[in-house]
Amino acid sequence: MESSELARFEAVVLPHLDTAYTLARYLTRNAHDAEDVVQDACLRALTYFDGFRGEEGTSARAWLLAIVRNTAFSSVRRQSPDAVALEFDEVQHSGAVADVHPEAALLRSAAKETLGRALDRLAPEFREVIVLRELEGLSYKEISDVAGVPVGTVMSRLSRARARLREALT
Amino acid sequence: MTHPSFEAQVDAYLDGELAVVDARALEAHLAQCPECTRFRDGQLALRAAIASDIPKFQAPAALRDRVRAAAQARSGARRRFTVQRLWRPLALAASLAVVALGSWTLARRRVAGEVLANDVLTSHIRSLMPGHLTDVLSSDQHTVKPWFNGRLDFSPPVYDFAGRGYPLVGGRLDYVDGRPVAALVYGRRQHLINVFLWPSPRGPSGGPKTRDRQGYHMLHWTTADYSYWVVSDLGSAELQEFAQVLREADSP
Repeated sequence: MESSELARFEAVVLPHLDTAYTLARYLTRNAHDAEDVVQDACLRALTYFDGFRGEEGTSARAWLLAIVRNTAFSSVRRQSPDAVALEFDEVQHSGAVADVHPEAALLRSAAKETLGRALDRLAPEFREVIVLRELEGLSYKEISDVAGVPVGTVMSRLSRARARLREALT
Repeated sequence: MTHPSFEAQVDAYLDGELAVVDARALEAHLAQCPECTRFRDGQLALRAAIASDIPKFQAPAALRDRVRAAAQARSGARRRFTVQRLWRPLALAASLAVVALGSWTLARRRVAGEVLANDVLTSHIRSLMPGHLTDVLSSDQHTVKPWFNGRLDFSPPVYDFAGRGYPLVGGRLDYVDGRPVAALVYGRRQHLINVFLWPSPRGPSGGPKTRDRQGYHMLHWTTADYSYWVVSDLGSAELQEFAQVLREADSP
């Protein structure tokens, strides 16, 4: 990497570091893992950076967040393979809830939970669309680039995730 | 009574992702439907709650420093390697390159046209993959054309040739020849036609030049204003006819 490339890397990646960290924080649900994920992702980004020229209408932000997202998903899976469904199934997860323990469902009905807890309990595929859209303001197209799914899937995940979060408010 | 089709649009509407025409229809419906208005107010309340309860985070300074250091380390390592090990073979390569440069620039101009054609074909094929075809899905030229406002530095001519058997499907932004371009999608039975266009510095050419690649037909021409590329798996004769219709619409 030449020094001009270094400058370009810093200009493309560093402005989005807060967004990258926020996404990692909500996907890993823990500050320490989030730092590891973002650092790993940036090293990967550095490796692939020569190939990134902003083609294909992908914004620099979406390009970096896609790497962060994939790094976070594989890190979470490595740590607790049972906690995350490897083969994510839209129909099976249509409740948009990743409860592992049945008693969690009981607890939920017994006590009104906070919005933050409700978000944490969403399956990661639903959590990420909320974070990217509501917190970071990405367009549907950008989210579809990050998550690697069609815009229609982004829309249905958003609407299910929001429906689930609304339950937490009532 | 609830209206699932309108409720489904409320999110896209609040997210600013609903086409103008649909947004107007939804606003008109909301004005006279208390159930859908209640649903919208609930969605607005959720947004407000998320904004106040769910924080954004700042990357810790130490993390920022580590990322910057990693980038610099890699940049430094590459440079040292270049200086110590590569200068002799590089010097030899450089002198060879001078010789090669002359013939290369000649070949390059010919190759540039081929590279562009490849670019266009790749964009066409990518657009056929699920979810990539259109950014604005509408058969209404008065929806598609204004959609490009603020997204491109030109306003592409958009037509609806439904009467001639080539209905408008929609449009999207694409990136070809090192610049953002307009991609318009037209249909013909089950076939799709991508029309790529961007302002051309060269001025008008003659009739379309044809190329066939990987089973797709490509036509290219320039008008006084735009450079055009048309790609489809449609039969060559029909694609020529489509190009003719398009060229007639363009000529004043």
